[in-house]
Amino acid sequence: MMLNEGVRNLSQSFKCCSILFMFILVIAFSVGCSSETGTNESSSANETGAPNDHHAEQNDENGETAEESTDNGEIHIGVVGPMTGGFAVYGENVVRGVELALDEVDHQFDGREIVLHAEDSQADVEQLVTKLDSLKQRDGVDVIIGPSTGDEGEAAVQWAQNNQDILIMPGYSAPEDLTMREQTPNLIRAGWTDSQTIFHFGQFVTDELGYEKIIMVGQDYAFPWGQAAGFKRGFYENGGKEVYTIWHPTDTLDFSSILGEIQGLADEYDAVMYNGGGADAIAFYNGWEQYGMDQHYPQLLAGTNVADVPILSEISTHFEGVYSSMHYSEDLDHEENIKFRESYREKYGEEADAIVLQGYDTMKVILQALEQTGGETSDVEQLRETILSLEINDSPRGPFHFDEYGQAVQNIYIKETKVVDGQLQNEVVKTYEAVSQFGPYEGWEEEYMSQPPNARDFPADTAEEYFEHLAEYFGQDYIDELEANGGWAE
Amino acid sequence: MNQMTKNLIYTLGVIVLLAIPLIASDFLTTMIIRIMYYSLLAIGFAFLAGQLGLISLAIPAFMAVSGYTIGILETRGLLSFPFSVLAAMLMVLVIGAVFGIFVNRSQGIYFLMLTLILGQIVWAIVLQWASFTKGSSGIIGIEKPDIMKWRLGETEVGFYYILLVCFILIVLAVLALTRSSFGLKLKGIRESETRMKMLGYPVARLKWTAFMISAFISGTAGVFFVYYTGVMHPSSINLDSAAMVLIASIFGGVQSIIGAILGMSIIKTFEISLSGLTQRYLIIIGTMFLLVIIYAPKGLMGLIYKNKYMQSLYQHWYRGGKKDE
Repeated sequence: MMLNEGVRNLSQSFKCCSILFMFILVIAFSVGCSSETGTNESSSANETGAPNDHHAEQNDENGETAEESTDNGEIHIGVVGPMTGGFAVYGENVVRGVELALDEVDHQFDGREIVLHAEDSQADVEQLVTKLDSLKQRDGVDVIIGPSTGDEGEAAVQWAQNNQDILIMPGYSAPEDLTMREQTPNLIRAGWTDSQTIFHFGQFVTDELGYEKIIMVGQDYAFPWGQAAGFKRGFYENGGKEVYTIWHPTDTLDFSSILGEIQGLADEYDAVMYNGGGADAIAFYNGWEQYGMDQHYPQLLAGTNVADVPILSEISTHFEGVYSSMHYSEDLDHEENIKFRESYREKYGEEADAIVLQGYDTMKVILQALEQTGGETSDVEQLRETILSLEINDSPRGPFHFDEYGQAVQNIYIKETKVVDGQLQNEVVKTYEAVSQFGPYEGWEEEYMSQPPNARDFPADTAEEYFEHLAEYFGQDYIDELEANGGWAE
Repeated sequence: MNQMTKNLIYTLGVIVLLAIPLIASDFLTTMIIRIMYYSLLAIGFAFLAGQLGLISLAIPAFMAVSGYTIGILETRGLLSFPFSVLAAMLMVLVIGAVFGIFVNRSQGIYFLMLTLILGQIVWAIVLQWASFTKGSSGIIGIEKPDIMKWRLGETEVGFYYILLVCFILIVLAVLALTRSSFGLKLKGIRESETRMKMLGYPVARLKWTAFMISAFISGTAGVFFVYYTGVMHPSSINLDSAAMVLIASIFGGVQSIIGAILGMSIIKTFEISLSGLTQRYLIIIGTMFLLVIIYAPKGLMGLIYKNKYMQSLYQHWYRGGKKDE
């Protein structure tokens, strides 16, 4: 009996203790939050002091900017993207890239500290909008870098349209409409669009490799659709006949049935292209090797994300000779790239990839723009003009600048995987210089944008249907010209 | 406590709630708006779970139905506010009625499994029927109607006030429902379905009605969700969000509506304020949930109702004060 009571007493007090502990935890966190904002306010109040008084008064007229100017002592940069879950690498690597760029300037600009706020969007658009609001309203950030996935990008552009008083620069988000059909002045992208990186790869596959009929296996969501669209345009307009697309849900790790189907089609088609990313791509490579698909197809082609550094380090050297295209290649041998890769390796012990690069470049663009505006970020229009006029010559990816829509114009590299020191690495085999988001359609922007946005089944799977649509939007003259040139003019 | 002080407290409460968008920062207002529409989901959940003892994982599915109906109708220019909202709520009721037929004869784990499947079906349709719902790109460009953009001085307060009124009305209505004879019948079903059947109550029809009410409340959440965020995306209605509603409601205490609201408020507040401090905030929320489940299985409200005065309030709100008499 005594023992029983003792145990009961013990468990009772334990219960009380843990409840107490929980409340202390709750209070500690809430105090932590409020004290942080508290110090922010007080420190900025100190620094806003006399010299900036007239500035504050000026801004008082339009309420919201007044809030921003209270942070005058520090520059706040917000980064938003998926930091947890299956897409975490797209968010975290952007943050790493941004930090790398900030390390170079010692987290300082003109004596003012640059404070980084990273927020997790969980690859969920509602979360994304919440976090964008938090960054703007709670942290009072001056510029937002992010988001990083395609779906998030679509939501972010909507948010940007409703919040014209802050500049937002997508991290790794690629849908072309962000800077095209839905473009808004306060969104500028120093990265890529899904089609921009792959237009010329379509041309390369049919012109240089001589393929006419391709099977494309891809993940069923917006980014691979955009990639497929760009590829098909380049492919058909230069002589390709058919792209047979097989879409599979994301997180497919067993490709047996798809590989079986492809095997049966080996007589009809020339090559297979995988258009996806992440773990799915690794699983596809493994399945390809296990099923001995090389016997059936001479060549494996890859979408932009499929032959990037993190994936190449996970697959066997069996995959030498896979072609793909991108706006960056790790083997570029100019000084900036070598330095970039070295400092990244030093800081994180890993190889840098294109995601890191885009975070890095975006931050560098912001820093350069700050230099020209003297650290002023409240006038978004001025900031936009400054950024659009920049010529970036020190990027690891090669030179780039911005078009009038706020999208980077950059080199596109056709890459082939090679084994170097027992490790797969991309090697540039061809470079297309200064490719805009409209790719070969420069001068045809209006016609290009009058087409419906890229979708799962648009553009069509066969050249015949494709040209029917093309005639509708670009006119017969364009097609006649194409035929006369035998494809795109070089 | 006499009538006078009670009235005073209620008036003060209402004044504070009304004044929030005018005196609080944008950030706080935004957070309260989010908490309110997510709380509507939690209320829809807690109504079924508390009254009937049925755990429904199809709650976000009804948010999807109303949100997507509004999104599709408005972005294609077929109908505009307020008709789109009426159409959306009608759609929620129709789908709720159909789903209700499937689930109203099941109980316990089978009910949970069925609602899980129904919720996943809605999610899969939304994700894969891309030509209709835009699939994983989500529908964007849904504008708030003008009435929700109504301004008082500098601040936009229309949305907040409309949501606040709807929210209070729904809370009061649900509290009244739980006290009504309908609510008592539902409690009877929760305690013993066979006995209620034996007594001659139309159990299946009662459950069906309760399911519809829950669907309606969740649908209302969808309306505010879609107007506030301006986007409708499959990731907002997937299994994670169903789990979020479940966890938040259990966290706060599922046998009471107030508990569900409290749970959702805490989860959402923590999610927003902690994520600014650390990337690993989900672990902290998980730990808290674990502690609550171990030491307060009835949720936070279960702890609070142990207090005598709070217990009398509970009796008053949920049972019309019958136990006190």
